[in-house]
Amino acid sequence: MSSFILSLLSPAVLSLDFWISVVLLVGIAGIFSLGIQLNAGSSGLLNVGHVGFMAIGAYTMAILVVDLGVNLWLAILAGIAVAVLTSLLIGLPSLRLRHDYFAIATIAFAEVVRLFAQNARGLTGGNQGKSGYDGAWRAIAEPMSAFFVDLGWTDSHLLPLAIVTWVIYLLTLAGVSYAVRTPWGRVLRAVREDEDAASALGKNVLSYKLQSLAIAAALAAVAGVIFALDIRFLVPEEFLPDFTFLAYAAVILGGLGSYAGVFVGTITIWVLLEVTRFLDLPISSDRIAAIRFILIGLVLIFLSMRKPEGLLGERREMVLRHD
Amino acid sequence: MTEQTGSAPILEVRDVVRSFDGLVAVDGASFTIERGTITALIGPNGAGKSTLFNVVTGFNPAEHGAVRFRGKAITGLPPHRISGLGLARTFQLTKVFNAMSVLDNLLVSAPDHPGEHLVNSFLRAPRVRRQERLIGDRARALLDTFSLADKHDEYAGELSGGQRKLLELARILMLGPDMVLLDEPMSGVNPTLGRQLLDHIHRLRKEEGTTFLFVEHDMDVVMQNADSVIVMAEGKVIARGLPEEIRRDPAVLEAYLGSASRRRKGSDG
Repeated sequence: MSSFILSLLSPAVLSLDFWISVVLLVGIAGIFSLGIQLNAGSSGLLNVGHVGFMAIGAYTMAILVVDLGVNLWLAILAGIAVAVLTSLLIGLPSLRLRHDYFAIATIAFAEVVRLFAQNARGLTGGNQGKSGYDGAWRAIAEPMSAFFVDLGWTDSHLLPLAIVTWVIYLLTLAGVSYAVRTPWGRVLRAVREDEDAASALGKNVLSYKLQSLAIAAALAAVAGVIFALDIRFLVPEEFLPDFTFLAYAAVILGGLGSYAGVFVGTITIWVLLEVTRFLDLPISSDRIAAIRFILIGLVLIFLSMRKPEGLLGERREMVLRHD
Repeated sequence: MTEQTGSAPILEVRDVVRSFDGLVAVDGASFTIERGTITALIGPNGAGKSTLFNVVTGFNPAEHGAVRFRGKAITGLPPHRISGLGLARTFQLTKVFNAMSVLDNLLVSAPDHPGEHLVNSFLRAPRVRRQERLIGDRARALLDTFSLADKHDEYAGELSGGQRKLLELARILMLGPDMVLLDEPMSGVNPTLGRQLLDHIHRLRKEEGTTFLFVEHDMDVVMQNADSVIVMAEGKVIARGLPEEIRRDPAVLEAYLGSASRRRKGSDG
């Protein structure tokens, strides 16, 4: 069976360079999906505009470095701060509304950000893209890459970024999954279950929702900055709504509310997506690209029939929970 | 009990008006509630009883009029602030946190928990753990009192309707409230659990001096448990008195029979 599958893939799938790029991508998507799990899984917030915060983090960093000559590390902090501020501006009016209005407001916000990036060419470079913001990072990364190349392991220049990304990913994963088990996270679950009851018990519901959204926005901005350092060339079409939807796929696959679940889910989705790039079939590349997404869809449909609570979700909790 | 004589009323509702899309649900209701009493709020369906609860607890703020709790104006305050002042409530349709354990339902209800600030949960872990132990003991004691101890680990959504009502009451007791508003506490509760619920109410009034205001349709429950009865009809308070006075009040009979005959005529809507 496995040799049959391998025969469908081109041999490049076995190269270490390819797997380093997959590991890096999983780390970025992992940090990003963590925010979706915190919002949708632990707080009942249908944030479907997550990629907008990612774009704001990446573009703020790039603009500050390229156009204003700001130090890269300060610019990264500023990117995170701007994403958090934006999340509060979006959340303050829309989180008072019903859940579905919040979902609509967030997806509209993310599209506004992308279309703005496409059209504000003076600032963002539009579809021509923006580059030249990663000098300070490469000054550190290149000696590290050279060290790994000397060891003879790989000639991928992405290994340092992949390592840094995974350190950040594992730290944020540990941090968020600890936070939701504290009394603070317990209030988030209560807000998710019943806002009226939570406020009747003295909880400031809006404040907790804003906190959840702001933390998610910060995580998305971190993912956006790393993503920018990875692709080295920012274009608006990297920030399509699909990226948010794939994070939802990972959350649902792993189990809504389960942090071990979203970890496994993200790895599964992105390994599937990346490995199937190497599908070696006698059809056009457009069709192969379509097949990759069909495959993800089939996996999710199969799972929803066999294990609707997700790989590591709680079935009883799924039946009872209120979103 | 000690501070009861001569003290100001715990709750004052004056000329409160609240409408929804032009439909006036509460239309100038006024009354006061004395500390340490058990008061029933009755009236035909649509009299505005639940809306009045929502006005008092801040869920649907009053458009006109004023609400004072313990002498402090609370009109326009958000629900969580009003709750924080010691005015707790339950809901007509029981609202427990279904996908949380019975114990967590109680723990999350404890007020002023330092661990509910995210920063404290990370930086002041010992203090947070101490508070967790403290409220854990209180929660388990309450579960014992309400005969829910063996269910502490189950999801609240898996309890029976009556047990959920008990849990909802136990949950607000974690707040240590001065006054509790109960919206139809007996509906959907079997007689045994209902009796237990009433016993808890009387015990709390006696031991803690807690004030209760409850909406109830079962007249036997009202007559046997309330010190005083408030009757609402069409958004207004039409009568107030001792249970036996209310039972004979012609205005009350008219309100009930009147609305019953209207309902019969308009049975298509």
